[in-house]
Amino acid sequence: MRRPLALIVLLALMAAFAFGVNRFFAARKTTIASAAAPTEVHPEVALPGTLYLAQRGDIYRLSNGTFTDLHLPAGIGTWMQPAVVPGTPDIVAVARTAAYSDVYLIDGSNGKILRQLSHNKTATVTIQLWHWMFWPHVAADGNTMVVSYDAPKSGQSYEIDFAVWQGSVSQKPATQQWTQPYSFTGGDVQPLPLPGGRLLYAKYQITGGNVFSQLAMQTNALGDIVYLTSAAADCAQPAVSPDGGTLAMICASGTGLQSTSLVVAPLQGTKLGTAHAVVAKCMCGAPAWSADGSGLGYLAPADATGHFQLWWIAGASTPRPAAPKQVTTGLDFDATSPPAWAP
Amino acid sequence: MVSQRRRRASAYRWGWGSRLLAAVLIAIGFAFSGAAGALAYFFPAIVTAFQVTGHTINRSAQSPPVQAGTQGLSTADPSQAASERPFTVLLLGSDNDAKFGGTVLTQSMILTRINPATKQVTMLSIARDLYVPLSSGGTDKIDKAYSAGLANAAVTTVENNFHVHIDHYAWIGLLGLVKLIDKLGGIDVVATHPVLDDFYPADLSGNNPYLYQRVAVLPGPQHMGGIQALEYVRSRHGDLRSDFGRSQRQQQVLLAIRTKAKLLGISDLPDISDAMANDFNTDMSITDVASLLPLASAVALETVHQVILLPPYTSSATIGNQDVLLPNWDLILPEVHKYFPAT
Repeated sequence: MRRPLALIVLLALMAAFAFGVNRFFAARKTTIASAAAPTEVHPEVALPGTLYLAQRGDIYRLSNGTFTDLHLPAGIGTWMQPAVVPGTPDIVAVARTAAYSDVYLIDGSNGKILRQLSHNKTATVTIQLWHWMFWPHVAADGNTMVVSYDAPKSGQSYEIDFAVWQGSVSQKPATQQWTQPYSFTGGDVQPLPLPGGRLLYAKYQITGGNVFSQLAMQTNALGDIVYLTSAAADCAQPAVSPDGGTLAMICASGTGLQSTSLVVAPLQGTKLGTAHAVVAKCMCGAPAWSADGSGLGYLAPADATGHFQLWWIAGASTPRPAAPKQVTTGLDFDATSPPAWAP
Repeated sequence: MVSQRRRRASAYRWGWGSRLLAAVLIAIGFAFSGAAGALAYFFPAIVTAFQVTGHTINRSAQSPPVQAGTQGLSTADPSQAASERPFTVLLLGSDNDAKFGGTVLTQSMILTRINPATKQVTMLSIARDLYVPLSSGGTDKIDKAYSAGLANAAVTTVENNFHVHIDHYAWIGLLGLVKLIDKLGGIDVVATHPVLDDFYPADLSGNNPYLYQRVAVLPGPQHMGGIQALEYVRSRHGDLRSDFGRSQRQQQVLLAIRTKAKLLGISDLPDISDAMANDFNTDMSITDVASLLPLASAVALETVHQVILLPPYTSSATIGNQDVLLPNWDLILPEVHKYFPAT
């Protein structure tokens, strides 16, 4: 009687051991941690002013160390690329769908949509006649607006490039074409309106089979272009400090590999001073100056997940900037959406 | 009394033997049960590994393995992939929908030279529109070689035209690429420029593979999921460099996958094999693949040499109703044979 019982116990132990070995391997699987919602975390660095950041289709406000979800309606699209409307509590932001994107005016204090500024899905069912609109930015007057807009285009051609268009918050975001993109390059992106009616943007070009971007400046629509950076530097994503004296940008140096540098340089009119990398060989993107000019925020991964976190460099415009500090952990910000920074 | 003593003594002697035997049997039992537990965990991966590896192809009679030392380079026969000797792999990527009635074209052909001793890798993209004699007969775009005779025809066509010996091939379908990247938790890529395409094939889902969709991959560093990464590497209509631009993006994403894959361990094999089951095959043996994994993680991105045959290596032409690239073999072959030994 005892032997059969011992045999049963042994068999049970062996089965348990087999199960344990199986689960041992299962437990050693690499787990890519999913991102938390910004409202579940607290930033590790106190930042000045109010930031708006995009994560996984929604926009969050970071103010006084607390993230607030604006709860923008998901049914409209993936929300991204917020930008402040100077002198107001409002922001403009892009809602992107699978085949078009539109710009909306939103009350930044409560997430209420005030107005749809563009209508890029037309009545036609021909999707090639629909449009993309990205990187809206509003000038200091609180009304003049610039965007990258894939117009004009025929709908019959493969050619589709972004041009920078100017419009207004009060009427339409794109009423006048300001730039003429190089064909089949992707075009002109990330426009910034500067004082005096100047326009700063990243212009993509292709020479000798290599694609690169240069920061370009224009003083009038379809006017002459002044390049601030070289083709070899391959810089884009311009961000001008609130005093207008320093330019931050992301430079890839044409490597085509997996790294960029966050570079700053003094800016005077159309002249760019000596540039230096404040962060080199990183996956840095989306630089944005704090509204008080005390530092520079940017997005970059912090760990193996590859999810982009918010980083901060105090005194980035000074000769001796502080070391970068990681502001958030475990989030997954949209790196194609530079933070919008309000006072 | 005597008979009782004998029985006790016999029981005593038999007891030690039986105990030893029982202990051995129990140990073996536990070893088997542990192995069974591990086997149950890895069984799907093992089955898939046998299914996708060892797809022997008929080697071209015209392109025997090169003798070691040719032009300062050496090569290896297929069985020597695990050794320290350099070898060449043809990476093939193609759609695997039913658009072409069961036969598929190669969207991507990358000739890869791997030197295990120096940890150096050279990747040479072959434009899909390259107009060459096919091993199956006739002259056509090189992307049709695979549809004419699968990997055997693709390998032989490349060998015959480029006068190189290919040790192995590895084929991946579009869905396999998407699933692999998603299993990795996405990849980080510095998108070289805006990739806009109003005529991108909407053939991964739905009933009509001839439908189009709009694609807009924004420039700069970003975290991409499988679908977005596929859009980035597959789109070519909006790129002045057409296939060349796409080739560069394909190499870029391959390197990003390799960076992320370094995080994986043996316990991840069932998930990866599940993702790749129907979308990957190779003529390498399981041991060859296993020996390549440590090498893949040892190669530094900076040592990966990327080659794309831009004009004047090729020139555009229209033959029949199709746009093709005409090879300038006088320029191509010396360039190719710098990195890949000539046959």
